[in-house]
Amino acid sequence: MTDTSTKVAVASQPAAQLDLSERDFRPIDWLAQRGIFVFTTVLILVAAVFIDGFASLANITDVFNRAAPIGIVAVGMTFVVISANYLDLSVVAQVATAAVVLIGVSNEYNIVAAMALSLVIALTYGLINGVAVGVFDANAVIVTLSTTFIGLGLLRWLTGGSIYFGPPESLIRSFGTTKIGPFPLSMLVLILMAVLLSLVLTRTNFGFLVRSYGSNRAATRLAGVNTAWVVIGAFMISAIGAMIGGFVLAAFSNTAVSSMSTGFDFEALAAIIVGGTSVFGGRGSVMRTLLGVVFVSVLTNIMVLSGLGFGYQQMAIGALIVTAVSIDALARKATLS
Amino acid sequence: MTAALELGSGESGDNLLARVRTVLGRRTEGRAVALLAVVAVVTAFLEPVVFTSYPVTLGRIALIGLVALGLTAVILMGELDLSVASTLAVSGVVMASIESLPLGIVAALLVGLMIGAANAFFVVAVGINSFIATLGMLFFLRGSAFVLSNEEPVRLANRDAGIAFGKPFLGPLTPRMLLFIGAFIALQVFVTRVRVGREFYAVGGNREAAYDAGIPVTRRIVTGFMISGFVAAMAGVINTLERTAADPTAGSTVLLASFAAAIVGGVLLTGGRGSIFGTLLGATSLGILQVALTLSGVQVDVQNIVIGLVLLLAVITDPNSVRGVVGSVRSLLQGRSRA
Amino acid sequence: MRDDDHDHPVGDGADPNGEPIIEARNITKSFGGAVAVDGVGLAVGAGEIHGLVGENGAGKSTLMRVLAGIVTPDHGVVSIDGVDLDAGNTRAALDAGIALVHQELSLVPEMTVAENILLGSTPTTSGFIKVSEQRRIAAEALNEIGVSVDLDEPIVRLSVALRQFVEIARAVARKPRVLILDEPTATLTPAETDYLLDMLQRLADRGLAIIYISHRIPEIFRICHRVTVLRDGKLVDNIAIADTTPDAVVDQMVGRELKIEEGQRREALPGSVVLSAEGIEAHRVNGIDLQVRAGEIVGLGGLVGAGRTELVRSIIGADIRSAGDVTITTDKGEARVRTYRSAVNNGLAYVPEERRTDGLALTMSVSDNVALPNRSELSRAGILSRSKIARRAQELAEVVGLRPPQVQREAGEYSGGNQQKIVLAKWLGRKPAVIVLDEPTRGVDVGAKAEIHRLIKELADNGTAVLVVSSDLPELLELSDLIHVVRDGRIAGTLDGSVADEKSVMSLASGEATVSGNGDPDDLVGSAQ
Repeated sequence: MTDTSTKVAVASQPAAQLDLSERDFRPIDWLAQRGIFVFTTVLILVAAVFIDGFASLANITDVFNRAAPIGIVAVGMTFVVISANYLDLSVVAQVATAAVVLIGVSNEYNIVAAMALSLVIALTYGLINGVAVGVFDANAVIVTLSTTFIGLGLLRWLTGGSIYFGPPESLIRSFGTTKIGPFPLSMLVLILMAVLLSLVLTRTNFGFLVRSYGSNRAATRLAGVNTAWVVIGAFMISAIGAMIGGFVLAAFSNTAVSSMSTGFDFEALAAIIVGGTSVFGGRGSVMRTLLGVVFVSVLTNIMVLSGLGFGYQQMAIGALIVTAVSIDALARKATLS
Repeated sequence: MTAALELGSGESGDNLLARVRTVLGRRTEGRAVALLAVVAVVTAFLEPVVFTSYPVTLGRIALIGLVALGLTAVILMGELDLSVASTLAVSGVVMASIESLPLGIVAALLVGLMIGAANAFFVVAVGINSFIATLGMLFFLRGSAFVLSNEEPVRLANRDAGIAFGKPFLGPLTPRMLLFIGAFIALQVFVTRVRVGREFYAVGGNREAAYDAGIPVTRRIVTGFMISGFVAAMAGVINTLERTAADPTAGSTVLLASFAAAIVGGVLLTGGRGSIFGTLLGATSLGILQVALTLSGVQVDVQNIVIGLVLLLAVITDPNSVRGVVGSVRSLLQGRSRA
Repeated sequence: MRDDDHDHPVGDGADPNGEPIIEARNITKSFGGAVAVDGVGLAVGAGEIHGLVGENGAGKSTLMRVLAGIVTPDHGVVSIDGVDLDAGNTRAALDAGIALVHQELSLVPEMTVAENILLGSTPTTSGFIKVSEQRRIAAEALNEIGVSVDLDEPIVRLSVALRQFVEIARAVARKPRVLILDEPTATLTPAETDYLLDMLQRLADRGLAIIYISHRIPEIFRICHRVTVLRDGKLVDNIAIADTTPDAVVDQMVGRELKIEEGQRREALPGSVVLSAEGIEAHRVNGIDLQVRAGEIVGLGGLVGAGRTELVRSIIGADIRSAGDVTITTDKGEARVRTYRSAVNNGLAYVPEERRTDGLALTMSVSDNVALPNRSELSRAGILSRSKIARRAQELAEVVGLRPPQVQREAGEYSGGNQQKIVLAKWLGRKPAVIVLDEPTRGVDVGAKAEIHRLIKELADNGTAVLVVSSDLPELLELSDLIHVVRDGRIAGTLDGSVADEKSVMSLASGEATVSGNGDPDDLVGSAQ
């Protein structure tokens, strides 16, 4: 390990460091990187051919209506996953709270007050989750599990578990019923959110830090970054996504109840992971989450059309999460070895 | 031989006080004892009936504690099992769907063991983080419970056995409590006196060292998940017997309370530290708290809020991170100006 | 250079039987093209303490790992009592009686002393731990090394020194015939070291063969019967201690006539003080004052474990310090820095020791890594400019000589030397007032090393204050204008870079040149946590 003849060494080492030969092709990598495009296409084609009623305009609108709120939640939660903090379970409580506040407060006061209050609540969720995880270094699954129970508990306690109905004629109602071709307005909101958050993730300083933090916490901290704010920010975006998801959900049904968002946590997670965002952090994209949402929604729709109930849908989504993460983990193992 | 170098470990001493301090210093149950003391004293003043109607309280402690005991085995190794909630539901449904009671119980327990093995497979062989693997399993099994039960509670064929099961069996103790006590003793012995169980601490505390010392780490992890699955299935069986029906939605609140019991009890989420006794203390304080709230007429929703808060506080006040937290808070609040 | 004729050293007076217990013949091991151990032989008899010395990277640890069956050699055989062992079989080595005390402690923090001593070989009856048996064996092992510690104390409550002794007790409990210790005194105080050395002599008197690796030459001369000197993976000498001197051994370890051959020292013109640290105290740092001037390169030399990394990390605020003030003075004024972030905001750059875990986000592109500390320059109103990032990264990649300079590639795809260049590129963009580099060329090939040296010198020439930690003596000497040698968390001596040589640094680092035994008596009492 001496460098007594460094100059000679430099001269005699023209291309020795060019060991960047392309990696060998491995099916597992292809599956992890590109699989979702093929699977989604195949799924849609198969459904269109074999499932009665899938290709109808009414059904497609229905798929969009159901996909939009989950998708909006998922694109927001993508930030938490990319920051290597697993997921934000508390979106279940957040979506329901936003929906109830939107309809309940609009009925009592007006929509502006409802939205303002929702925003305050969303920021509070983001702050509590973010501080617990980013400052106290607590495990995100356990933290968001407890905030889910606290949040849902508060909501049910304060509302007494009652269902809120919006008036037959209102801004909210007309938002929920307006369509552009087969597209409900909520789909437009989803696409807008996805484009916006995609820009945030890829173009802004903050999004960059989220990716960097997810890829390597220590290196990000040692670059002089205030990493606590990065984590808080990621949970804030997740909270705002959940809030808007709640609004859209409430507008679609024009009713709100504390139990309406059951399953949003894992459907969103499934969409994110199936889209190709890695639970190991650092890698992922909002646009791919959008693709994941399409996949998960179409799959759910096929099951509904085939008469498979809630239980089967849950089984499918659980299996989907485990499979997608397994592919990710195996691809990662193959790369590291 | 030359005199031994005195490299004393600090607080050792001959007098009783010093010895007590040494023994206490080694324990990890501090927070659980504190919570238990506060809860017990406040309850004794405000709602003494919690203690006079102790069968109810003990029943609740057993309900929370059983699943927490199984979880503790997994968390000691630095892994996590979120699927316990659905394991409880699935095993209950499986049991109620089978005509013969003994056969049903055996099948339910086998299901628990199989779920544990499946969890371990994803964690050990595939290499998925156990948080995510068992989360996926949680959803999958919840779905399975719905499918198997056609989305409604399944009645137990042998209702009489169930009713008998809910009755006191030994003094004021119902079979549930006896099983809980049995599980507690078995696991306490397992992690303190049995080599396999004791090595869980090595797997969680310093996995590298465990490998180097020749401990079969993979097998220990599989064992841990199977214990957790088995205990959760046992809780499912007990629930089904007591209610004479299996509810496919059972277990969602148990998840929260049992995590809270284990973490309050001093079990470190990253593994290697904690005790079965601590989990018992955690379960006891949470049980008393829940019963006290119920008897005071507090709604279930508010109880969930309280337990959620307890879990949140427990997970952020982990003693190991307090020093780091001071630094983080200072860094967070410090001006963001650039030179 | 002396030759490889020492493959079969014959035991001298220190080996009563003349027959070695453990013998290694012609061991060769390379890692990815780099030869770590090159045709080395070694033989140790009963009752012999055999010293193994060499600079960092000389191949000592690899050789020991081959002996213990952890590493499979490319060539060569290890035998016990003349019977060849299965190469690279840890279990076989253990069963044959070879016990290795690792450099890094491998104890389980929450388990008790007794449990740790018998970890992996816990005595049981039908699955249950035989507690009395466990305690008896543990007590015996502790008794054998003469250390008294409560068997029921969890490791986490023991001092670092006691943990080291428990680790040795663990090796002794296996009733080994050969005991290998890798730098066991690195973290011990002088009194504890004395104790450990006496203990090893007692164990040898009872017939154990002991292989003792240390940088500390006085320790070698105090207890060893023979010493083997390695340099660059090759055997330099194997000689009875009576036939050599500390000076001769240091000469053999260093093995260079000329201090610098190709890499030229630069003319330093230090300006005003930029980084000033006073009274720094932290974990393993015991009150250190330090100043670095603009345009000056200050080197921190010393042995592994002397507290250099802890020192720089506590100065820059990456680790918590219990006492001390740090100021960074730039043309924008003087700033007292308490946290790491304020140091960075005031012009600090830090190249950490562990570049893969602390330095780079390996799954991100080179340009993203470079952009990380330069975000504010490369963005406007929080929006990053991709073209600016790409341009800046390309620029900096060319400055540091990244090969190939493809900044869209993931950092993890590059070799060690190139990765280190990426870390440097990250910080160069900020034109740091002070840069702290911890082992900047560890695991880096010669070509990249020379380029990194050139970059460090250029930084200093342009007025940056540079603080370098290095275990690589030629590097330290080539770069530094001033060398502080750290030992036991204190500065053992300061040398002028233009007159220092490897020997003077090594003497200070190993304690040969200072009076030993300045340990604080309080250090003996293990601190409970």
